[in-house]
Amino acid sequence: MKNIFKKLIFILSISAFITSCHDDLDQSPIDPDSFTEEDVFASADEARGALAKLYASLALTGQAGPAGNADIADIDEGFSQFSRMLFNLNEITTDHAVVGWGDPGLPDLHGMYWSSSNDFTEAMYYRLAQEVTFCNSFIMNASNLTGDEVQKYIAEARFLRAYAYYNLLDLYGNVPLTTVISTELPTQSTRTELFNFIEEELLAIEPSLATANEYGRVDNVAAHALLSKLYLNAEVWTGQARYNECVTYSENAMNSAYSINMNDANGNGTAYDELFLADNGSNGAQNEFIFALNFDGLQSQTWGGTTFLVHASIGGNMNPTDFGVNGGWAGLRTTKNLVNQFSVDIDALNSALGSQSDWGLVGSAAPNGWDGPDLEMYETGSNQYAIYAGLTAGEMKFRYNEDWGNNYGDNGADGTLEGGGSNIVIPSAGTYFVTMDLNNATYTLSPFTADQRGMFHSNGQNLEIETIPPFSDGYAVTKFKNVDSNGNQGNDSSGTWCDTDIPLIRLAEIYLNYAEAVLRGGGGDLNTAAAKINELRERAYGNSSGNITSSDLDLQFVLDERSKELYWEGQRRTDLVRYGQFTTATYLWPFKGNDPAGVSVDSYRNLYPLPSNVISINTNLSQNEGY
Amino acid sequence: MRTKLNSLLLLFLFFPFIIFGQNLLSGSVVDEASSSGIAGANIVVKGTTNGASTDIDGVFKISVNSGDVLVFSYLGYLTKEVVYSGQATINVVMIEDSSVLDEVVVIGYGSVKKDDLTGAADLITSEDFNQGAILSPEQLIAGKLAGVSVTSGGGAPGEGQAIRIRGLGSLSLTNSPLIVVDGMPLNDGGVGGSRNALNTINPADIESMTVLKDASATAIYGSRGANGVIMITTLKGKDSEFKYNFNTKYSIYTPINKVDVLTAREFTDLITSTGNNNAIAALGGHENDWQDVIYSTVSGNEYNFSAVGSAFGVPMRASIGMGDHDGILLGDNFSRNTLSLNLNPSLFDDKLEMDFNVRMMDTKNTFANRGAIGSATSFDPTKPVYNGSQYDGYYAWIDPATGNQAAIGAPTNPLALLNLTDDVSEVQRVITNLKMDYELPVDGLTATVNLGYDKSESDGSSTTSELIPTADPTWNGALSTYTQSATNMLFDAYLTYNKDVDDHNVNAVLGYSYQAFEFDNYSYDSEAQEDGNDYEFIDKSKNVLLSYFGRVNYDYKGRYLLTATVRADASSKLNPDDRWGVFPSVALAWNVDQEDFFTGKIFNSLKLRVGYGQVGNVNGLGDYKFLTRYTGSTSTAYYQFGDSFYQTYRPEPINPDLRWEVGQTLNIGMDYTMFDSKLTGSVNVYKKTTKDLIAYTLVDPFTNFGNRIDANIGDMENKGVELAFNFPLFKKEDYEHIIDFNIAFNDNVVTRLPDQQFIGGISGGVGNNIQTHVVGESPYSFLVYQQVYNSNGTPIEGVYVDRNNDNIINDDDRYIKEDPFADIIMGLTSTVRCGSWDFSLTARASIGNYAYNNVASNAVLSQAWNSFEILNNIHSDYLTTGFEYTTENSLLSDHYIQEASFVKIDNISVGYTIPDFMGDCKLRFYGSIQNVYTFTDYDGLDPEIYGGIDNNFYPRPQTGVLGLSIDF
Repeated sequence: MKNIFKKLIFILSISAFITSCHDDLDQSPIDPDSFTEEDVFASADEARGALAKLYASLALTGQAGPAGNADIADIDEGFSQFSRMLFNLNEITTDHAVVGWGDPGLPDLHGMYWSSSNDFTEAMYYRLAQEVTFCNSFIMNASNLTGDEVQKYIAEARFLRAYAYYNLLDLYGNVPLTTVISTELPTQSTRTELFNFIEEELLAIEPSLATANEYGRVDNVAAHALLSKLYLNAEVWTGQARYNECVTYSENAMNSAYSINMNDANGNGTAYDELFLADNGSNGAQNEFIFALNFDGLQSQTWGGTTFLVHASIGGNMNPTDFGVNGGWAGLRTTKNLVNQFSVDIDALNSALGSQSDWGLVGSAAPNGWDGPDLEMYETGSNQYAIYAGLTAGEMKFRYNEDWGNNYGDNGADGTLEGGGSNIVIPSAGTYFVTMDLNNATYTLSPFTADQRGMFHSNGQNLEIETIPPFSDGYAVTKFKNVDSNGNQGNDSSGTWCDTDIPLIRLAEIYLNYAEAVLRGGGGDLNTAAAKINELRERAYGNSSGNITSSDLDLQFVLDERSKELYWEGQRRTDLVRYGQFTTATYLWPFKGNDPAGVSVDSYRNLYPLPSNVISINTNLSQNEGY
Repeated sequence: MRTKLNSLLLLFLFFPFIIFGQNLLSGSVVDEASSSGIAGANIVVKGTTNGASTDIDGVFKISVNSGDVLVFSYLGYLTKEVVYSGQATINVVMIEDSSVLDEVVVIGYGSVKKDDLTGAADLITSEDFNQGAILSPEQLIAGKLAGVSVTSGGGAPGEGQAIRIRGLGSLSLTNSPLIVVDGMPLNDGGVGGSRNALNTINPADIESMTVLKDASATAIYGSRGANGVIMITTLKGKDSEFKYNFNTKYSIYTPINKVDVLTAREFTDLITSTGNNNAIAALGGHENDWQDVIYSTVSGNEYNFSAVGSAFGVPMRASIGMGDHDGILLGDNFSRNTLSLNLNPSLFDDKLEMDFNVRMMDTKNTFANRGAIGSATSFDPTKPVYNGSQYDGYYAWIDPATGNQAAIGAPTNPLALLNLTDDVSEVQRVITNLKMDYELPVDGLTATVNLGYDKSESDGSSTTSELIPTADPTWNGALSTYTQSATNMLFDAYLTYNKDVDDHNVNAVLGYSYQAFEFDNYSYDSEAQEDGNDYEFIDKSKNVLLSYFGRVNYDYKGRYLLTATVRADASSKLNPDDRWGVFPSVALAWNVDQEDFFTGKIFNSLKLRVGYGQVGNVNGLGDYKFLTRYTGSTSTAYYQFGDSFYQTYRPEPINPDLRWEVGQTLNIGMDYTMFDSKLTGSVNVYKKTTKDLIAYTLVDPFTNFGNRIDANIGDMENKGVELAFNFPLFKKEDYEHIIDFNIAFNDNVVTRLPDQQFIGGISGGVGNNIQTHVVGESPYSFLVYQQVYNSNGTPIEGVYVDRNNDNIINDDDRYIKEDPFADIIMGLTSTVRCGSWDFSLTARASIGNYAYNNVASNAVLSQAWNSFEILNNIHSDYLTTGFEYTTENSLLSDHYIQEASFVKIDNISVGYTIPDFMGDCKLRFYGSIQNVYTFTDYDGLDPEIYGGIDNNFYPRPQTGVLGLSIDF
């Protein structure tokens, strides 16, 4: 009996030991970087980190910058960044940009032969849908918290969800509308349903959004601005024109505290380029940014964003240090169509000056350097010469017949010429009007003020694109830089990651929305429209020489103005679609439709395909027509 | 009461000897073949417990009575009976049991005689192991077993090996078999800082390895048995006088293969004939073969010492091993010291048998910078190694604008990469277990407890000199360090019941197992610290596996055998509702040769087997995937609000429904001996279906926090036939020639997968994938564009077949062309023993495997001189294609998918043994050459590339080994 008792105790203690091990199966995360829902939504203060993710998933690509813990699978992490994909889908597919790289799915974009399994159309869909899900989850969890700050958070999350749907509506058209977290496969919604949802949401959150918020977070003007964008495209997206509302909400934004940046912080003659410098979050440009993505070379690193825009645009003989980075990726260039938007016919201006002479400009600032051949000036009178010349930053002299035997420089930089005198310094690149009067040995050098929004690098580049891969075909674009207004490189001393923020909506666009809506019959005032556009043009020219009158305004003018003001900011395809020029033969550009001269493509390409992978797992969805 | 009776009976039996006295008989036991004494043979007086064993010379002494029947037995030999009728001595000649079916096979929580085996399991013992410079256990069996492939990741010493048993069983989880060392299942992850987790076990300490292949054999390991099980049994202590072994090896590693890039002259010709003025001006005028610069002939050595015997009545074995090997890539080194101790004490009248093992390892690695391999194939061959640059004199491509090395388009000087980086690690690991078998006071019942502890600790650091060529103007060198620890604790408890009643024999096991795995990693990054970012990183995880298992082996008269097993496993990785998986199996075997009708005319022995079982797999699956978890961002992925930067929290993709992958195998087999034992062989035919395959599968991103989650979504099938043959061509006293040959056919097909998966990232462009998982094809099939060729057979640049006839060449035109896995693998071993000499040759063949030549696919003119005005050497395939640009399509052209079938002479060895050197010593000298020759049509460096993407492969050297082994 005692034995049995002993055995029983033994058996019991063994089973107790074994059962206690069963509890060991309930493990919870022990990694210090892993959090539970209770941690993240413990308080409004903690929830700020979850809100930051809703913004960050448009700017960054994952939880380990610049890469390493990606939000999205199936694509290179750097490729999956929102503004980079927006650039790929809305700029590379147009006359604004070409890219020479052979990455999967990338050449298909400019060639306009993408399929429904294209890497970028697919990844963009994932990025935006994921943003919707992140927002849905945030809204649900934050609703359990109390406080005014939390209500603002929720309104911002609803704005970001509306912004994601705005892009889904524009790019893909018919996507599911989901506002709650559920594993149920969602059903397809029509463009009109999506349109109505975005409109209702923006109208609903407008009172809850801050009237002014800290930089990087949206306020109620963002809701007005997004409504302006939405209504402008209503006719294309729903078949119903809403230009009146576009005018109304554009006016709301125009009358807000936001203003066009007129601060020429680096003193180069225009306040436009400040919008795309490393300190654009603080140099004045921020006053124009209604909704911008924030980057930082140290703390917000990504292979997309401006790190991509700056590096990818540098190649050939461009000097990366001028752009605040350590090297170029030699990928992006533009077509002659964009360059020609800005073209001032210098040849015409020059030949109007007189006939070509033997006096020329020579030097490091001149196109052919110190060795020549020299840039020959035009004879405007007896011993008087002049030229409109594209010069780079450097030095120059006047020389006769490409022979140093007879040359002039300027000792003391006093505007008088001395034979064999000192080199004349050209402070910065640009087109200059240069005169020389040998009657009194004087010269003048004045920047020729044209539209300074056209920022290209042409040295060593061909305007014409013969084939897309080599970097030398097509002008490079120098719009985005990682130097600040003082010319200093951004925060990352290695010169890899850029600080420059990317405006997704800025006031200038709203001006142009307004003008277009007025022209399309939305009411408003044409003179106001012209005045607003002149505001942009005066900044562009540095003076009023480019100003227009309301009679100059027509729809094509506005489209061209949008191209010049907003190029490379992720708008072009949407604009061309709205103008019926994206797929048709009305407007062609090099390699449109994969043809060197450009050809039209099927109109179904106005809309991107839903990813074939998503269609295969969600049978509620049917593919966009044509794919 | 019964015990008392037994004791009485025993007393009664012994009584006569005590009363009448006994004779002391002595004699010897010798081996028929070698005529030498057999040590450790058992002699028992039939029907008694009176016994003895032979000493080292095969001599025994035993007390006997006239009329006693003496039974002589020794493992692997036929048992012999001799009647004692007063002889002065009895000398017994024992004959090896040619059927070798009495070998004991370890099968997990027990062992069976090979004769009683019902599943597909292969045993390979030390004498059949591969010879030569073998640094890790799996290399011992490469090519030896049908259906088992072992492929090294490259030619570095101690490099990791991919072991695959019967093809792939999983897409996203691990495909490596479970490794069990003396009953201790290891964790399936790698060991940080280590080239190969299995380097812990010194091959010199291994006695045998058993490979369990089918589910009926592996089901006892349940959720970890899906990819087969390799059971390693180490050498044990013996109850005898101490014997010692010392062996040493000296190895020479010679690089024998280089990537076929253009020579300096070819390159110069290419640039002068095609380049622009800048390109031509950039030529350097030197003739440099960068691959010769980075590879060299190096050596390695190995010392092992072991002692086996019994001290204080405790059988024990202790060994010490030291090895030091250089890699052919300059600066690469692997050194290892191992210690092992085994104690086998028996207590309480042998009722308690203990098996205590400790294995300790200390490895030191110096990892040569493998970036040098790619950079040596692409660095301009007309450039010198040194030119007195600011980068410690190493030639570098300077960007004239910045004065630093060009940021893009320029490879870094390969020798600078090797000499100016220092990547070292030290890994210490202890695997210890104590197994106790206690004979319970119930007849035939034994209780076993096995306690195991496995801990590895790694320390590593990687230093990059401030002098290394870089585009970073603020570069001042970098240091990163890490420490990692992995702990694996095991508690097994099981009961074994053995009962023979008449012709019914039962062996049953019932048990419980608990295993916990913990990982704790720390790393530091000096550059992040300088940037003011987080610079210390901690990763931790823990998971627990808990199991119950049972097995019954039953046979009737040794003719009809049945094995049934079941194991229930729960893993903490899974949702509480789904975490238990039950894995049953059943197998039947019929020893036909035991039947009365069996004549033995053609077949000397014959066994038929059939088995079916289920096994699971969650190995390699991340932890806590069923929980809603948020991941905080690192300090380089903060987001700015106002003037502050905030850490962001991301909800992780979630799948609460994650379940075990289940593999089901049906295996039909036959083992036979034919033609008077001139042929021994086995055949296995199998079909393995993996159900509920976990794949990283698409999910509608409107329904989850990502676009892919791990989910049980697919099915896969492996079908195959395995044949193994053993031909003892000659078996005479002085001359023996044995040929072993195995061949395995395997067909691996994905049978269900809702979405096509793209994998197999390649170099060239960004994000290009060359492989896919798709229904109806092998996993990892190549997905490519179909190249168009001109009438001369030259590929036409940019022209591909429009396979769907829509006049557009895009993703929809890609098609499946072959896969990287062999349809047929073969292994051949030929062993000759002739007097004191022995010779062996091993060869392997692989038929039907394809590879993607990634080095060749980047061979385009725009690579040779690029838009950054930097020259790069290219693969000589350019001379065939003449391609100008790489595009997505050119990279994914089927032109670069090449058949990589091969026949490889792996090893040729010769040895000479002096059995009685200076009396008692046995001396053996041997030499071998490894990686002797490869027959292949493949154009790349080596056709044997696991995974099939050939790029920057560390060349396998040819190894010459000289060795000496002394037993004393």
